[in-house]
Parts: sequence; structure tokens; C-alpha cells
Amino acid sequence: MKLKYTPKHTGFKQFRLKMKTWTNHPYFPILVLGFFLILIQMIGSTGLIRPSLLNFLSPVLIRYMVSLGFLLLLGYAGLASLGTAGFMGLGSYMIGYLFQTSGMPAELAFLVGIAVSLGLGVMVGFISLRVEGMYLAIVTLGLAEILKNFFTYSPLTGATDGMRLQFIKFLGITSSNTVVYNPINYIIMVLMVLVMIWMVNIINSPTGRAMLSIKNSTSAAQAMGISIMKYRLSAFLIATMLAVMGGMLGMLRTTTSFPGTWGIDLSLNVLAAVVIGGTKNIWGVLIGTFIVFGLKDLVLARIPFFQTFSNAHLMFSGALIILVVMFYPGGVIRALEDIKRLIIKLYTKILTSWKEYTYGKSVE
Amino acid sequence: MANLLNRVSFLERKLNALKYQLELNESYPDVFSAKLKEKSQKKVEELKEKESHELLKLEIDALDNPAYLKYMTEEQLNQLEQSYDLKKRQTITSYYRKTGQNQTSEVLEDDLKKIHSTYEQQQKAMLDAYGQRQYTKETLSANRQKYASAEKAHLERIAIYEKHLEEFNQKKLDDLKSSLNQKKEVLKSKIQSIESKLKAYQASTQGKQHLKTELPEDVILRIDHLTMQFGGLKAVDDLSFDVKRGEIFGLIGPNGAGKTTVFNCITQFYKATEGNMYYRTRLSDVITLNHVKVHDVIKQGIVRTFQNVELIWELSILDNMLVGAHSKYRSKFFDHSFQTRRFKREESIIRAKAIKILSDLGLLPYQHFYPLGLPYGVLKKIELARTLMTNPSLIILDEPAAGLNDLETEQLAHTIKKIQKEYDTTIFLVEHDMGLVMSICDTICAISFGKKLAIGTPQVIQKDPVVQQAYLGGE
Repeated sequence: MKLKYTPKHTGFKQFRLKMKTWTNHPYFPILVLGFFLILIQMIGSTGLIRPSLLNFLSPVLIRYMVSLGFLLLLGYAGLASLGTAGFMGLGSYMIGYLFQTSGMPAELAFLVGIAVSLGLGVMVGFISLRVEGMYLAIVTLGLAEILKNFFTYSPLTGATDGMRLQFIKFLGITSSNTVVYNPINYIIMVLMVLVMIWMVNIINSPTGRAMLSIKNSTSAAQAMGISIMKYRLSAFLIATMLAVMGGMLGMLRTTTSFPGTWGIDLSLNVLAAVVIGGTKNIWGVLIGTFIVFGLKDLVLARIPFFQTFSNAHLMFSGALIILVVMFYPGGVIRALEDIKRLIIKLYTKILTSWKEYTYGKSVE
Repeated sequence: MANLLNRVSFLERKLNALKYQLELNESYPDVFSAKLKEKSQKKVEELKEKESHELLKLEIDALDNPAYLKYMTEEQLNQLEQSYDLKKRQTITSYYRKTGQNQTSEVLEDDLKKIHSTYEQQQKAMLDAYGQRQYTKETLSANRQKYASAEKAHLERIAIYEKHLEEFNQKKLDDLKSSLNQKKEVLKSKIQSIESKLKAYQASTQGKQHLKTELPEDVILRIDHLTMQFGGLKAVDDLSFDVKRGEIFGLIGPNGAGKTTVFNCITQFYKATEGNMYYRTRLSDVITLNHVKVHDVIKQGIVRTFQNVELIWELSILDNMLVGAHSKYRSKFFDHSFQTRRFKREESIIRAKAIKILSDLGLLPYQHFYPLGLPYGVLKKIELARTLMTNPSLIILDEPAAGLNDLETEQLAHTIKKIQKEYDTTIFLVEHDMGLVMSICDTICAISFGKKLAIGTPQVIQKDPVVQQAYLGGE
């Protein structure tokens, strides 16, 4: 018997449906992530979490920002660059040099760094993007080597000893070697959230679609009025800018920079993070970055084998790349989705077999 | 002279942009009002949902006694019966498993009887519990009146709410329209000033005037002594013909005759070795296509498809349509990064247009699909739909029927005719399927080894001895 008025949802269910319009927004998970990161930092800085454990977080977040630029370059524009580490090093040395010797305020030096990165990106892009193929990777590899040699032998950067600043002041926050809980981490987290939102916006706009169409079919893209040079260059510029920004944020945090840090292995690790995580998904890249950069400090550092061989973690990420490329070209995020589907399937199977056991197979 | 021409082309581009903005402004109110309607419907639904809780209580109160009993206990009795059934089956299977035989015995019968008796007791208790409400006739009628008045009030409230929402929407729409009208006036005055400037310039630019008089008014594309040379091979050799506005023009020829090369020359994928291509734009200016960049060809109103479908495999069908409208976007990278209101408006207008075109061609069910795995005929149709996103004046189709079966080809012919009629375009196609070409084309040009054999209506081409020789290899 049915009555005329039957409410569809009541109480909590109604509330949940109302919230769905909020939770379905693409910014929602990003903001939640940012909120929790800042919460962890706030709780940790009161002394509840060991500084060694807390300090591993923000370098990974900086590398995540750099990887997001690389995601746009590799996953959307279909290009690869091997100069990421060189650009990061350039950023870190530049802000240090400008602050130390010319006495420029760090805020202004930050903007100058971004401007320089854009100029450099335009130059490199115009030279290498005119030709089809992997020329960008070759040119950026050469540039990164030049930059690394410059860092190692030039007196401007402190040569092999590296650059050590007494202190650096950015937006009223003074960081130096002695500061344990550095408040600059908050700025890094806020910037990370902003960059994530920016990426989501670009991906879901004509710009992102144009980049994907160039990756899929250059002739179709040209016939639809998409200038190939423009969009390849803009993807490369964004990647370069984020790399330089990451380097500068690293310098602002640690106030030291050594030429050994900015080798080819860092560029390859960024590539690995994007490939392992999933080349078209920002959340996949987050997982990939934590696997490649976070696992080393958090888990592998406690295993004796990895303690004795300091570079053995590279082997680990190399093996992961091989596994992902062979079995899951979509990356870890795709694997997680598959695992979720598998669990649901298994659950229903177990449930039906249990029912069969208790109630008998046939219905009388 | 060159400086002057540059100035003129700059002004023309500006004029085009302004006119497009005007067009966008005109189509926005429809999209906006549809959005508002959807929103207000949702609000009304919410209100109904909210009030239905109270009304349900009153309705139950107004039921007479047997109906009340039935309503309250029906579901729970069903549940009770189900659980009784399950319990019975459980005891039977466990007993069988214990004994290892599928035979009944007295012990099992006793157990089942016990379960049955408890079930009956529960049933009786439930009926007693809900049977306690015994309303007299007077209270029942009072309750009914209460319910009827509440329902009436509810319906009235919803009607008032709907009316209020409608007024509110109308007000918002009027506001938008008035602001758009103001903008329209500004745009119109700008357009007028530019047009007057252009007229003054055009009086002094004789090169353009010369071209204009040379090309007849009804010709949209003129291929003039086109030659395309790859090393020593002449793929297209001194070819010239005219395509008239509004017709379906077919280019036929045996394999390797250079048909696709002609297309690639027109759309500037190849730069022609010799010869000119004159094209009349929507503003009925004549331009030569030779110096236009590949990605600017679509801005002149020429769109092409490809022999092998070239869709974007990593985007959904709707997003593919939006890629087709890429050259129409006026919002820049800044708007995309910050998702400004301007960009959102533009996106909503273009999305509405894409959905309209998809539903016109019967492709709406596929809008959220990815191209990978769809039938080939559907993919070809999607590519055709994508060309319509920019309101082109010339559509170039490269072998639209390749790989389709007879039924699909027939549908395609119908679709092409429909597009030519409804979207007011000229269609220029290369095709191997003679049935399709002869049935839909107004004019056909036959070429072989890059040279023109014959041009004319389908009947003329069918009877032409040179064409027959090229196709069938002599007498």
C-alpha cells in the first residue's frame, strides 16, 4: 500500500545529498589535503612530532610541485625534459646569490627568479620545439649539464663547497640552519594548494584540451586552429617556472645548496614520480612523489641494506618504473582503482558463498 | 602599400572579433535562462521534499482503521516472514550437514514446529500493537479535513514559490539583457567606426579591389594553375577549377591521382610549389590562401576532416566537439588559469552549441563516451559534427565513406545533404564510392596523375570518354 506523499530521503541521508554538491567540486579534495597538511604542521611544531619526521614532508611537497609541472609537460603536451634538476638548482642559487651579495629583498628576488625562468624557457623552447621528436630532452639535458658544471666550478656559487647563507628573510619569516620548526613550511603548503588548483583549472580548460590534442594528433590539432608551437611552449614554460620556483622554495627552507644535489638523478626521479603515479592524474603524481622521494627517508632509511648503499633507492624506483610501464601504463592510481574493483568483487563472492553455506543451495 | 594592407587586415580581424562577440552576447540569454530554470526546478523539488515529511504524518492520521493497520504492518510482516523463511532453511541445512543425509526426522520436525510457533506469536503481537489505534468517525473526519487543508496550503505555497522564482528569474534575465544591450550599443558603434575606416582604406587599396572584381560573386574557392612537386614527382600538375558557393563539389580520380594532395595544399599542410588559391570569406573579401598559416585556415572558415579519423582519443566526444571550437574561444590563458566568469560564460555557450549539433546528428547518446571502441561509422559522423562547431563556410571532406558499409553510406549521404542545407555551407569532398558521389554532388571534377580530365555535372562525367578510359583502362 502506497501513500501519496513519501519523502525520498530523511535525516542524515538528506544532509549527505546536500553536501554532495560541495564534495563533488574538484577543489574540495585539494583544500582538504591542504587543511590536513597545515594541521599536521601546526600540531607537529608544538613538539608532539619529532622534527626529523616532520622535516621530511616539505621537501617532498616541493618536489611534488615540480612534478606537477612535469605532469603537464609529459602527460598533456607529450614532451619530456631532462633539465628539471638544472632549473631547480638555478632557482636555488639565484635567490641565494641575489639575497646575499646584492642585498635584494628575498620577495623581489623570488619574482626576478620567476621572470628569469620564463625568459630562459622561451629561449630553450624556441630552439628545441621547432623540430619534431625528442629534441627538447636532448637540449635540456645539455643545458642541465652546463648548469651543473657552472655550479661546481664557479666562484659565484661557492664551487664544490656549495652556498651557505647565514639566514634568509622571506615575507617576515627568518630561516637559518638553527631553526627547528620552520614556518616557511606553511608558505610551501599554501603554494602547493594554489599550484594544484591552477593545474586542475588548466587541465579542464581549452588550454589543457589543446595540449592533449597536440599529443594525440598534430594534424587534427592544426586543422582545428591550435598553434602547436604556442601550446608546447606554454607547457614547457609552466614546467620550467615551477621547477625554478621549487628550487627557490628549497633554498628559502634550508638556506644551503650543494652542486651534487642538482644532478641528472633528480631529473630522472621527477620523471619516475610522474610515470609511476600516473601521467594524467594529479593525485597519482602525489602518490608517485611520495613513493619516489618520501619512501627513501621514511621507510628505506631504516633498512640496513639501503643504509650501507646510499644510492640503492634509485634501484628501487627504477624497478618500480619497469613494473609500472610493463603492467600498468596508467600508473599506480590506475592500479589502485583496479584493486578497489577487485575488493568489491571478492566481497560479493564471499557473501554469496556464505549464504549458500548457511541456507542451502536450492530454494524449497 | 604593404603597410596599408597590413593595417586593413588588422582592422578586418578586429571587426571579426567584435562581430563574434556580438553573436556570443546574443546567444547568451537563452543559455542563461535554461540554467535559471534548472536551478529553480531544483529549488521547488527541495521544498516539496521538505514539506512531504509533515504531510505524510497527517495523511497517516487521516487513514481509516483497517487501512492504517495494513499500511503500518505490511512491510514489517513481510520482513518477519522473510526472516522466518531464512531461519527454517538454516535449520534444515545445518541438520542435513550434521547427519550427512537429506532425510527428515522427528527431531527436525519438532524444531521446525517450534520456529513456526514463535513466528506466529510475533505476528500476533505486531498486529495487536498496531491495532490499538481506534479512531471514532468524528476524529477521523476531523483528521481528514486537517489533512485536506494542509495539502491545499502546501500546493498553494508551492505555486506561490514557483511564481516568485519565475519573477526572480525574469528580473535577473532582464538585468542581463539590459546590460548586454548596453554592451551591444558600444560594440555596434565600434563596428560602425571600423567599417567606415575600412571603406576609406578600401578606396585606396587597389590590389584588393582588383582581386574582388576578378573572382565572380558566386565562386567561393578558385584553384588557379596549382602545381605541387615532391622532388621529381609532380603530384598535382597545373590544376585549376572553381567551387561555387552552396554546392556539393566532388573530386574524383583513381588511386594516387593527387586528390588528397590538393586538399593538403588548400588547408596549407603542404605549401604549393606554384599557383594560387583564391578564397572568398564570409565578409566577401577575397584572400589568397598561400600565405595563411596552417592553424589560421580555420579562422577563414575552412574546416577539413581526415581520411583516417583523427579524433582526440584521450578526450570524451563532447570535449572533442569543444576542441573543434577552439579557434572560437576569445578567453585567454589568464581566464583559463583563474576560471573567470568570462570564460565560464563562453564555455557554457559553446557547450550548449555542441550539444545542439550532437543531437541534430543523432549522436547525443555518445556524448560522454571516449572514441576508442565506438563503431567506425559513428567516429566518421563525430568528425563531421566537429567541423560544424565553427560555422564554416567551406567544409572539406577527405573520403567520408571510406570503410563504411552500404547502409552507413546511405545515412552519410543523407547527413551531408542535411548539413549543406541547414548550416548554409559549401561542401568539397574526395570520394571513391561512385554511388555516393553521383547521388549527392552538384559538380564533379575528375583528375588523373594530377591533371584535370573533365569537370561538369554527374551525367556529363559519366558519359565522358576520357574519364571512362582513366577508370576502366581503355576500351
